[in-house]
Amino acid sequence: MGSGKGQPVLTTHAPQAAQAVTLPASLDEAVAALAAMPAAVPVAGGTDLMTAVNSGQLRPSALVGLGRISEIRGWQYQDGHALLGAGLTHARMGRPDFAALIPALAAAARAAGPPQIRNAGTLGGNIASAAPTGDALPVLAALEATLVIAGPGGARREIPVSHLLAGVDMLRGGELIGYVRVPLLHAPQVFLKATGRTGPGRATASVALVLDPARRGVRCAVGAIAPMPLRPLDAEQWVASLIDWDNNRALVPEALHAFGEYVAAACIPDPVPAEDGSVPPLPPAVLHLRRTVAALARRALGRALS
Amino acid sequence: MSNETAAATAAPAPPAPAAEPIPHGLGASLPSAESRAKTEGTFPYAADLWAEGLLWAAVLRAPHPHARILSIDTTHAREMPGVRAVVTHEDVPADARYGRGRADRPVFASEVVRHHGEPIAAVAADHPDTARMAAAAVIVEYEVLDPVTDPEQAFEAEPLHPDGNLIRHIPLRHGDPEAAGEVVVEGLYRIGRQDPAPIGAEAGLAVPRPDGGVELYTASTDPHTDRDTAAACYGLPPEQVKIVVTGVPGATADREDQGFQLPLGLLALKTGCPVKITATREESFLGHAHRHPTLLRYRHHADAEGRLVKVEAQILLDAGAYADQSSEALAAAVSFACGPYVVPNAFIEGWAVRTNNPPSGHVRGEGAMQVCAAYEAQMDKLAKKLGVDPAELRLRNVMATGDVLPTGQTVTCPAPVAELLQAVRDFPLPPLPKDTPEDEWLLPGGPEGAGDPGAVRRGVGYGLGMVHMLGAEGADEVSTATVKVQDGVATVLCAAVETGQGFATLARQIVQETLGIDEVHVAAVDTDQPPAGPSGHGRHTWVSGGAVERAAKMVRAQLLQPLAHQFGMSTELLQITDGKITSYDGVLSTTVTEALDGKELWATAQCRPHPTEPLDAQGQGDAFVGLAFCAIRAVVDVDIELGSVRVVELALAQDVGRVLNPAQLAARIEAGVTQGVGAALTENLRTARGVIRHPDLTGYALPTALDVPDIRIVKLVEERDVVAPFGAKAASAVPVVTSPAAVASAVRAATGRPVNRLPIRPQAAVVTDPR
Repeated sequence: MGSGKGQPVLTTHAPQAAQAVTLPASLDEAVAALAAMPAAVPVAGGTDLMTAVNSGQLRPSALVGLGRISEIRGWQYQDGHALLGAGLTHARMGRPDFAALIPALAAAARAAGPPQIRNAGTLGGNIASAAPTGDALPVLAALEATLVIAGPGGARREIPVSHLLAGVDMLRGGELIGYVRVPLLHAPQVFLKATGRTGPGRATASVALVLDPARRGVRCAVGAIAPMPLRPLDAEQWVASLIDWDNNRALVPEALHAFGEYVAAACIPDPVPAEDGSVPPLPPAVLHLRRTVAALARRALGRALS
Repeated sequence: MSNETAAATAAPAPPAPAAEPIPHGLGASLPSAESRAKTEGTFPYAADLWAEGLLWAAVLRAPHPHARILSIDTTHAREMPGVRAVVTHEDVPADARYGRGRADRPVFASEVVRHHGEPIAAVAADHPDTARMAAAAVIVEYEVLDPVTDPEQAFEAEPLHPDGNLIRHIPLRHGDPEAAGEVVVEGLYRIGRQDPAPIGAEAGLAVPRPDGGVELYTASTDPHTDRDTAAACYGLPPEQVKIVVTGVPGATADREDQGFQLPLGLLALKTGCPVKITATREESFLGHAHRHPTLLRYRHHADAEGRLVKVEAQILLDAGAYADQSSEALAAAVSFACGPYVVPNAFIEGWAVRTNNPPSGHVRGEGAMQVCAAYEAQMDKLAKKLGVDPAELRLRNVMATGDVLPTGQTVTCPAPVAELLQAVRDFPLPPLPKDTPEDEWLLPGGPEGAGDPGAVRRGVGYGLGMVHMLGAEGADEVSTATVKVQDGVATVLCAAVETGQGFATLARQIVQETLGIDEVHVAAVDTDQPPAGPSGHGRHTWVSGGAVERAAKMVRAQLLQPLAHQFGMSTELLQITDGKITSYDGVLSTTVTEALDGKELWATAQCRPHPTEPLDAQGQGDAFVGLAFCAIRAVVDVDIELGSVRVVELALAQDVGRVLNPAQLAARIEAGVTQGVGAALTENLRTARGVIRHPDLTGYALPTALDVPDIRIVKLVEERDVVAPFGAKAASAVPVVTSPAAVASAVRAATGRPVNRLPIRPQAAVVTDPR
C-alpha cells in the first residue's frame, strides 16, 4: 500500500520519540547495548516481532538489531558438534550443504513457511519465540541441542534447549541466544510435518526423528501438539533395542506401526478412566491428531531406517 | 500453474511486437488499462488517499456476540489529547437503520449487541494510534446474554431483533407430493462460513463539503445505494452526500462494510475535517458479510434407471445477526436446490434465520454454492446405490432448454448441460504419478510435507452447477451509460464499478467495436453519474454493457447521419474501421476526425432487461432473467492416513454465451475455481459461541499457488443468449458454485467416505481400514 508521493510528514499530538535502533556488529556489543537500554528489544528476522508491533500489541521503545552480527550468521565445527549461529536464516539452513550436516534441521527450515519468511526468519528467533508450531524446535529437542547464551561482560553459559522451552532455565535480562550446539550424528534424520493445506502452513503436528548409531539410540520429538516438543522416551528406548545396529537396520512393518502407536499414545494419552472404570472416548479431533502423530512417527522411522 | 485453454478460446496474447496490431474490439484479449499500474504498485487504492489536515478514525467493536448495553461512557475518550470527536448511536437519527436487503441494522449498537464486532462507537483523532487508544477508552457496560449460535435453535429462541428471528421462509411445492421412486437416498450436509477475504482490507476517506454535506472516497461496489444509506443515516438529502469510488482491491462480495463508511462520514461532518480509516485484517474479518453457513437435509427419489422422480429438501441458512441479502440467497438456494436436472416433483423448504453469529450476505454464488455441494453429493450417493457411473447417472437427468425449474419457470436461455458434462468427462485424465518421476509428484501436504506415496489414493469426481444472472424476483435492473466522442477519442461514463471483473475493459471493447475508435477511456465512478446498480451476478456485462452499446450506437448514428444523408445511403451501409469511415462499396472514404469536424458527440442510453416476478407462497414464479451453467471434473490425491487432500486438476466446461475477452474470461474462471477450492478445503471462519476465532490470514487459510490445481478450460460453449446484449453470460460465479461440489465428489471417490461437510476436514478424508 502507501503511495507516499508528496505526502506531508505525519504529525501527531505528541511527536513520536525517535526510536532508538542500534545495530551492533558483534555479540558482545549487542549484549552491551541491551544492558545499556534495558527496555530495548532484540530483533533478528522480525517475522514474529513485527507482526506484534504492527498489530499494536508491542511498542518497543528501542530495538537492538542483530542482523549485522556476522559471527552468528554462519556455523563452525567443534569437537564432533556444529556450533550454529543463532542468526542463521531458514533459507540458509535449507540449502544442500547444510542438509548434508543436519538433515532434519534443513528439512524443518525448508518447511518453515513461504520464501519471504524463510529468508528473514532465524534459528535463534524460532527458539526465542518458542511458538508451539516452531518447526525447528522438535528437531532441536530430538538432537538434544544446547544453547550458548551470551551475557554481559563476555560471559557465556550453556543450557539444554529443552530447559529453555520448558521454562526450567530462562534467559535473563541482557542475555542473548548466541549459538546452538548440535551433535553431528552422521546418520539418517527425518522431519515430517502435517499441515492443513498443500501450500505453506502451520504444523498441526510434526515429528523429528534422528538416529544416533554411536550411542545406539533413536531420538524422537513431536512438535505442535503441546506448548513444547514432547519426547516419547519409552518408545525411543523400545525401538532402539529392536534395531540391529551393526547390520541392516530395517524393521518389519509391524514394528514400525507399533512404534507409531507407542509414540502417539505417549504424546496423546487415553483419558483418565471414570470412577466406574469406563474410559471415555477421545473427541474426534483429538483422535485424528493421535492418528496423525502415529502416521508421522511410523513414516519417520521407516524413512530413517530405509 | 499451467493453464490450458482449448480451441474455443485463443491463448492469452503475448506482448505484441510493435508491428502487430494491438488487440481491439469484442472477442479480443484486450488487456486492462490498469494492469500495469497494479502490477507496479502505483495504482491508488482508498488506503493510499490523503488530504491536508486529515484525522484518523477508529471504530470500537463489541467483544460479545450478544449483550445488552447498560451504558456507554465516552468522557475519558473525549478528554484524551489529540481526540477530536467521539460518536455513538446518539449522533445518528434515532430511526436510522440500514441494510441491503432489509433496513434492520443500526449504525451503532444502542441497546443490544447482536454479533461479535458490531460497531459501538467511533473516534477521530490526529493519529491512528491515538484513535485506537481512545476507542479502547470508551467505557461500555454490558450485560452479557446467552448467544443463539445454532440456527436450528433460532426458531424457538427469544427474538434477537424486533423483526423476529425468521427472516424468510420459502415452502416450494412443485408436482405431486405422493410421487415416490424405487430408489431413495438421504443425506445431511453442512457448509461452513467462507469469508470473501479481499486482499485489500476496507479503507476510506471522508471529506466534508462547504454545503454541509460530505464526500466519501471508498471502494464501494454499489455507490448509489451506499450513498442513499449514508444520507439517510446522516439525516441529509442524498444530493449532499457523494461517493467517489476508488480503486477496488478485491471484491467477490459486497465490498465495503458500511460499519466503516457510515461512522467515517459522521466524524467528518462532526469535526469539519477530512477523516481517514484503514481497517486492520482483524476488523475486516469482523465487519463484512460472510457466506451463509448452511444446513441441508435431502431425500432424492429415483426410478430403477436412475431418473429422478422427486427431491425433498430442507435448507437452513444462518443469516447471522442482520438480514442483509439473506432473502435473495435463500431464493437462489431454494430455486436451484435440485441443480441442473429435470425433477418432476420437488418439495423444498427453505429458511433464513437470525442468530448471533457473524453477519452473512452476498458472496458470489450465494445460496447456489451450498445447495450444489449437497445435490451433487446426493447424485453420487444415488450412483453408488444403483451401481451406475456417476457421470452417466448425471447425463440421464440433465436439463436442457425448454425444461422447467422447480419454481415453474421454463428455461428459455441456452442450457447445454449435457454437452458441458460430456466435454469434461471425455477430456483425457492427468497422468498417474507412476508415469512421472516421483520427485516431481507434488504429494498432498506439499513439497516439504509428510506425504507418503504408499498412502495416496486418487479420486475423480464431477460437479454440475448453475447460477442465476442479475437480480432476481422483480428487482429493477437498470443501468445508464454515456458515451462521448471528441478529437477522435471516446470516453465512457458509467457508474458500473470496475471491481476486477473487467467491466472497464469490456466497455472499451464495446465502444471500439461500435465506433471503430481505438482510443477509449473509462471515466472514474462517482454518484454524480446516474446509477448503474451493484456489481455481482454478471450484472454489469449485461446491463451496463448493454447501456454502453446503445449509447455508442447513438453516437455512431449522430456521426454518420450527415454523411449518409450527403451520399444518399443509410448509415448501415457505412462502416468505421481504424478511424476511417468507408461505404459498403468502398467509394466513399473519410476519417472519423474529418467527419467530427471539431464537434463533440454525446449520447446517453439505458438498458433494462425484461422484468421478473417474486416467488409466490408456493415458491413458484419466473424469478430469474437468465441462468448460467458449468461442469467440472475434479481429480484429487488424498493421503488416506493423514487425510490431506491435494486437488491435482480441475477440468471445466462452461456455458458462457459468447466470449468477449478470452484472456479476461480465463482469468475470471480461474479466480472462481480458486475461490471454490478454498471453500472446499480450507476456508472456514471459525467461531466459538459466536466469537470469531483467529481473524487473521494464518488462521483463515486461503489457497496459495501450491493449493490451486491445474485448471483446464476444456470447452467454452458459445451458444448466444438472445435476450442478453452480445449474448454473453455471467462467468465468475458459476465456477465458485461448482468446484467445491466437484472436489468433494472426487474425495468421496478416493476414500469411500461420505464427505458431507465443507470445507472437508482431514478426519473426514481418512480411511481407517484401507481396502
